[in-house]
Amino acid sequence: MRHRRGLERDGAAPYIFLAPLLALLAAFMIYPVVMNVVTSFTEWKGYGPWKWIGLANYKTMAEDGEFWTSIINTALMVLYIPLSTIVTLLIAAFLREGIKGWKVYRAVLYIPNLLGYVLMGIIFSIYLRDDGALNMAIKGITGSTVRFLITPGLAINVVGFLFVVFLHLGFGLIYFLAAMNGIDKEIYEAALIDGASFWKTFFRVTVPSIRFAVEFWVVFNFIEVFARMFSFIYTLTQGGPGYSTFTLEYGIFVQAFSKFKVGYSSAWSVVLFLFCAMISVAQIRLMQRRDE
Amino acid sequence: MNRSKKASPFGPVARLVVQAFMVILLVVSLLPLYNVVTASLKSLGEYSTNPILLPQAPILDNYQYAAFSGHLLQFTVNSLVLVPIGVVLYIVVCVMSGYAFGKMRFALRRPLFLLVLFMSIFPQLLLAMQVSKLVSLMHLTNTGLGVVLSWVAYFAPFGTYIMTTYFTDMPYELVEAARIDGASQYRILWSVMAPMAMPMVATLAIIGFQSMWNELPFSMLILQRESLRTVTVGIAVLRGQYGLRVPILSAALMIAMVVPLLIFLLFQRYITLGVTAGAVKG
Repeated sequence: MRHRRGLERDGAAPYIFLAPLLALLAAFMIYPVVMNVVTSFTEWKGYGPWKWIGLANYKTMAEDGEFWTSIINTALMVLYIPLSTIVTLLIAAFLREGIKGWKVYRAVLYIPNLLGYVLMGIIFSIYLRDDGALNMAIKGITGSTVRFLITPGLAINVVGFLFVVFLHLGFGLIYFLAAMNGIDKEIYEAALIDGASFWKTFFRVTVPSIRFAVEFWVVFNFIEVFARMFSFIYTLTQGGPGYSTFTLEYGIFVQAFSKFKVGYSSAWSVVLFLFCAMISVAQIRLMQRRDE
Repeated sequence: MNRSKKASPFGPVARLVVQAFMVILLVVSLLPLYNVVTASLKSLGEYSTNPILLPQAPILDNYQYAAFSGHLLQFTVNSLVLVPIGVVLYIVVCVMSGYAFGKMRFALRRPLFLLVLFMSIFPQLLLAMQVSKLVSLMHLTNTGLGVVLSWVAYFAPFGTYIMTTYFTDMPYELVEAARIDGASQYRILWSVMAPMAMPMVATLAIIGFQSMWNELPFSMLILQRESLRTVTVGIAVLRGQYGLRVPILSAALMIAMVVPLLIFLLFQRYITLGVTAGAVKG
C-alpha cells in the first residue's frame, strides 16, 4: 500500500515536474517514431503528395543490395566490440599499475572524445588521404601507398577500428579506471603474495571484479555502433566508396536526404528501431541485475 | 617511488615494455593531430611537397581565410550563443525530471522512467526526417529556438537518467525535514535539493555542452541558412566542398577545436565525473 500512500503524498506535482520533458519527448521523439512507421507504408519524397503502398517498401528492402551491405557492415562494426573491450581493459590495467605519467596518457587519449565525431572524421579524412601525410610516409618506406579510404573492403574496417576501438579508448580508460578504483586493494596484495602474474591477476581478479562495468561498456558500444556512427561516417567517407561504408543509420540518411525516398528510408528506420529496442531491453535488464 | 606505495606484478623488464608501448600509443594517436596542426601552417605549395615535416615557412593565411572567408568565426559565435541557451534549458528539464523520478512517488513512475531510458539510446537518424518536418510545421526552420528545442528533447533522456540516479541516492530525510517545515515540493526542489546537487549539475552541464556542441544531423537540417550554422555544421559542410585545400581545412579544424579544448582544460574534473555518471558501482 506504499504506493497508494505515495500517490496521496505527491499528488499532481510529479507530473508538473515532468511536463516539460514529456512534452518535448512526445513532440520530438514519440511523434517522429510513430510517423516513421506510418510513412514506411507509403511512397513519399518528403514533400508533396504521398501514396499508400502497403508492404512494398519492405519487399524492396529485402531485395536491395545496399540494405544488406548496410546490415553486414553494421554487424562487422559489432565484431570490433570484443577487440575494443579487451584493448581498453588491458590498457586501463596497465595504467592502474602506476605507469609513470598515467594521467597524461588518460588525458591525451581522451582528446578524440572531446573533439567529437565530426572533427575526428575530418581529421582522419586528411590524415588517411592517398596523398596525405601517413601515405607519404608509407610510400617513402614501402614504395606504394595504402588506399585506406578508397579500397572497399579496407575502408569499412578502417572505419570500424577507428570508431569502435580508437575513438572510445579514452572514454573507456576513464570509465574502467574509475571502476577498478573500487576494487579492494587487499585482493591485489593477496594475489601478489601468491605470486600471481599480471595476466592471471587481470583475468582472475580485475575483470571479474568489475564485471558490471564491463557489461555496461559492451552495451554502450552497441549503442554507439547502432545509433551514434552517422557523424563520423559522414565526415570520414560519406558512406563511400560506393556504398561500402554504409551502416544501417547511414543508409537511412542517404535514402531520405540524397535520394529523397523518404517512405523507403522509413522502412530502414523501422529495422533500426527494432535493433535499438533489443539493445534497450538488454540495458534495462542489466540495470535491474545490478540494482538487485 | 611508486613501488613503496603499491607493489606491482610487473618485473622491471615488463614495466619497461609496458611503458614503451604506452609511449608509442601516445605518439601514434597524436600523429593525426600533428598532421592537422602542421598542415594549417603551410602554404598549399609547401604542403604538397612537404606534407610530413614541420613547416619550413609557417604562415597564418590559412587561418585568416578559414576564419573570415570560411566563416568559422561566425559559426563559432553562433554555437557560443545557441549551445549555452540549450544547456540552461536542458539543466532545468533534467533536474526537474530527475527529482520527480528519483524522490517522488506516483503511479506512472516506473513505466515513464523505462520510456525515458529507452529513448536515451535512440539514433538521431531515426528521428531526423520527421523532426525537420515538425520544426518546419512549427515555422521554426532556420531559427535558434527550433534547433535548441530539438537538442534539449534529444539529449534530455540521458540527462534525466543521470539526475535520477543522483537524486535517488540522496538521503530521503532531507525531503522529509523540509516537508515538515511546510515547504512545497517546488521549494524543496529549488531551495534544498538542487543546491545540494550542484556538483552533479555541473557535470550535467558539461555533458550537455559537449553533446550539443558536437551535434550534427538536427542542426544541419534545421539551420539551412549559411549565416546561422553552428561550428560543427559549418565545418562538416566545409569538408564536403569539392576541391577545398587541406591547409585551409586544417586551419578551420584548429579554430573549431578551440572551444572544446578550453572546456577540457577548465573543467577536466567534471568531464571525468561525466564519464562515470549514470554508470557503475563495481
